[in-house]
Amino acid sequence: MAIEYQKGDSTFHRLDARTKLLLFAGLTILSVLILDPLMIAALFLILYEIGARSIDRKLLNRNLRVLVVIFLTFSAFQIVFFTPDDAHLLFYVVPGRQWLPVTVQGLVRAAAVFFRFFIVVLSVHLLLYTTPPVNLVLALTRRERARRALPTAGISLLLGAILFLSFQLGAAGGLSRLPLEGAARLAALAALSAGLGYAVYRIASHGLPPDMGIALSLGFATVGVLSQQAQQITDAQKARGYDVRPRNLIRRMQVLASLLMPIFLATLERSQDIAVAILARAFDYNLARRTYRRELRFHRRDYLVHALIVGLILGGLALKHYGLASPTEDWILSTISAAAP
Amino acid sequence: MTPDLDFRNVSFQYEGASSPALRDIQLTIDPGEIVLVTGPAGAGKTTLCSCANGLVPHYHEGTLTGEVLVRGYSTARTRIGGLSSLVGLVFQDPESQLVAASVADEVAFGPENLGVERAEIVRRLAEALQVTRLAGFDERDPHSLSGGEQQACVVAAIYAMHPEIYVMDEPLANLDPAGRAQVFRVMVEVAKRRGKTLLLVEHALEEVLPLVDRVLVLAGGQIVRNGSVPEVLAAGDLPGAFTRPALARLAEPLGLRPLPLSPEAFVQLLSQRYRLRERTSVPMPAPPRPSGAPIVELEGLEYSYDGRNPALRGVDLTIHVGEMLAILGRNGAGKTSLIKHLIGLLQPHRGRVSVLGQDVAHTPTHTLARQLGFCFQNPNHQLVAFKVRDEIAFGLRAHDVDPAEFEPRTREALESVGMSGSEEAQIFDLGKGQRQRLALASVLALRPRILVIDEPTTGQDPTMAQEIFDILKRLNGQGTTVIVVTHKVDLAAAYCSRAVVMAEGRIAFDGSFPELLTDPERMRRLSLEPPETTRLAALLAPYGVPPWISTFDQLSEALRILVEPTDGD
Repeated sequence: MAIEYQKGDSTFHRLDARTKLLLFAGLTILSVLILDPLMIAALFLILYEIGARSIDRKLLNRNLRVLVVIFLTFSAFQIVFFTPDDAHLLFYVVPGRQWLPVTVQGLVRAAAVFFRFFIVVLSVHLLLYTTPPVNLVLALTRRERARRALPTAGISLLLGAILFLSFQLGAAGGLSRLPLEGAARLAALAALSAGLGYAVYRIASHGLPPDMGIALSLGFATVGVLSQQAQQITDAQKARGYDVRPRNLIRRMQVLASLLMPIFLATLERSQDIAVAILARAFDYNLARRTYRRELRFHRRDYLVHALIVGLILGGLALKHYGLASPTEDWILSTISAAAP
Repeated sequence: MTPDLDFRNVSFQYEGASSPALRDIQLTIDPGEIVLVTGPAGAGKTTLCSCANGLVPHYHEGTLTGEVLVRGYSTARTRIGGLSSLVGLVFQDPESQLVAASVADEVAFGPENLGVERAEIVRRLAEALQVTRLAGFDERDPHSLSGGEQQACVVAAIYAMHPEIYVMDEPLANLDPAGRAQVFRVMVEVAKRRGKTLLLVEHALEEVLPLVDRVLVLAGGQIVRNGSVPEVLAAGDLPGAFTRPALARLAEPLGLRPLPLSPEAFVQLLSQRYRLRERTSVPMPAPPRPSGAPIVELEGLEYSYDGRNPALRGVDLTIHVGEMLAILGRNGAGKTSLIKHLIGLLQPHRGRVSVLGQDVAHTPTHTLARQLGFCFQNPNHQLVAFKVRDEIAFGLRAHDVDPAEFEPRTREALESVGMSGSEEAQIFDLGKGQRQRLALASVLALRPRILVIDEPTTGQDPTMAQEIFDILKRLNGQGTTVIVVTHKVDLAAAYCSRAVVMAEGRIAFDGSFPELLTDPERMRRLSLEPPETTRLAALLAPYGVPPWISTFDQLSEALRILVEPTDGD
């Protein structure tokens, strides 16, 4: 089942492709960061509702439904294998032998993991269903542009500040082992964050070389054609009298060979044609100075989404930092201990 | 003045080829000239085109001697990218030249590569779409367009690069009549009106001769004719290399000068030279009554690929044993959908299909294939082996034919397509025409009672196309029922007894060719182009020429009678 771009003009469709890539990365980080089943379920529901409004709800449901059983299986594994030492044991699946313990922590983790997978899947769907592949490739492709010092410094510092906060909130324990004290530690951390911020910006703005980018978009543009061609070849072989789905296994291998040969040759021929076609359209004129008709530009909505992602991640880190990351689990445990004699 | 294209004693031999593709080409083309290149398959026409933008020698490897200069730049020392900004190439198959996901991206691709500023790209895009009449198609997927629109899109993509020289290699060959007309208009627009140089390779002389300034005939890699249109026409045919349009050949023995290019000009010259007398018209022959039993029956056939847009909307058709029938109609009219039902590649959503008395819904395709041979448009999709003998044996094995029969059946099949003795030939070495025939032979080896063949003449030169129809006629004479899907009205009229014209998923006409050809209004509505010969016959109808005749021989005979001196002259 290929996730193919669906035309539309929802707000999500109109987001810049780079914003959507960032959102995908941010959501993946968040889904790992948040361990509380209620919080992660809420995030999932919000995301699902956005998805259902941006693309066809039926299509989305159909794709997600297939995965429910698979993810439930993963969750089941979590229940029986996630058993920290201080876990609150409920019962054993095989009581006589004391096999497969079920704990509160295991159940909570299983619920969270179930939604974690769905959030990642859903964000991939949102990204691919609402972004034309050409724009996606463009977002990933390097475009030669003079880098101005001021924006570079500004963005690097902003990224550095976010990283700085994340370190403070997320890795406080690790940081305390640094040999420095007080203000010196903070200064060192700030410098490190600024340096990392600059590195992240340079790496992120580097992107794929233009020829790779073009190769990718050519790929996207020809997938449909190639599968159509494969269908025509299958039809041609059927019409020649090959039973393309014989019961006999050896016969089936022979048939497969008779299909693969022309499909391979036709694909080879097609790629030759494309090579000639792009050469005839000045592909090798001067790749480094190539220009682009499509323009990627951030709007206000993009900046809002960026702020939201950063806010959520920092918020998640802060909750963890202050020990508020798993309220559901805490509440269940306190209820159990209150009820216990 | 520097010529736009200057070939100086150019020869080229592809790597691994046994003989050169071009020999000693001396040719200069001046700015603004429109030059037609014609000649049989394998004459070197495509190689000549590839020389003009550096694909030879930079992409296609081989030995190039002599020098090709494009506006003074030697192609051997200039990169393809640089030459592409001067020379725009359009090839035969539009689909294989489309590389982007939308028409706008497709058109912008060239200017983007040339580093044109964004604002200028947007301007050029709008202009190119307007010139090629594709305005409003910006966001369409190029692969979803009709053949004519696709080729127009390719021309737009080249146009947006602002080349000085256009090189078009059979740009009309893969299109239906409506698409040909569209692309032809676009060609006239970009070349003639804007004064650009055009090197055009084409077989359809009748269509393009009125447009061109000069004609080159290539054969065996050499230029065998080079001159203005009247000069080349006056110089006569070259057997195996160049056949002039039928009108010119008909006019010559009548002493009409200059040789006419249109039926109207023909009649005018004829009436100046001869005193034509009105005669009563000949009654149209009754359509041949099918004598055989029904062999294919379609009843109320309906089909849709996506469940929304119907491809076939209630088709009723009965075909009898021994018929030779042509299915005509523009692209997307439902021709291929129809014939795919005959062998169960598609199953009707409503209605019934029966072949040889068997209901197709209950008979698997591979069983039907024993009696019904099916040839697809592209032989490459069908061929699976490396050697001719193995290819034919492959099909026989699939149908569990007794291996002792392989040898005689292979011989017989190859003989019927005129490829006797080529059992050991490598399929890779065969040209497109021969591959088409081999695909046909591998189907014939099964001795089918019905032969269905889809567009057998695509990408073939006129001689090869006629040979394929000769083969079909011979098979029909031996008792095979033949159903051929084609755009070639002239060949169909000359060889087939019955015409079925599809339009928008329905049968819009079912009858004899004389009936179809004498109704120009209907022909136009079904976007069928009557052959030039028939148009001439129609103009001569008041003088007793049957207006439905279409072949050279028929018309030649009619003209002989027409100009015969009678008593009292």
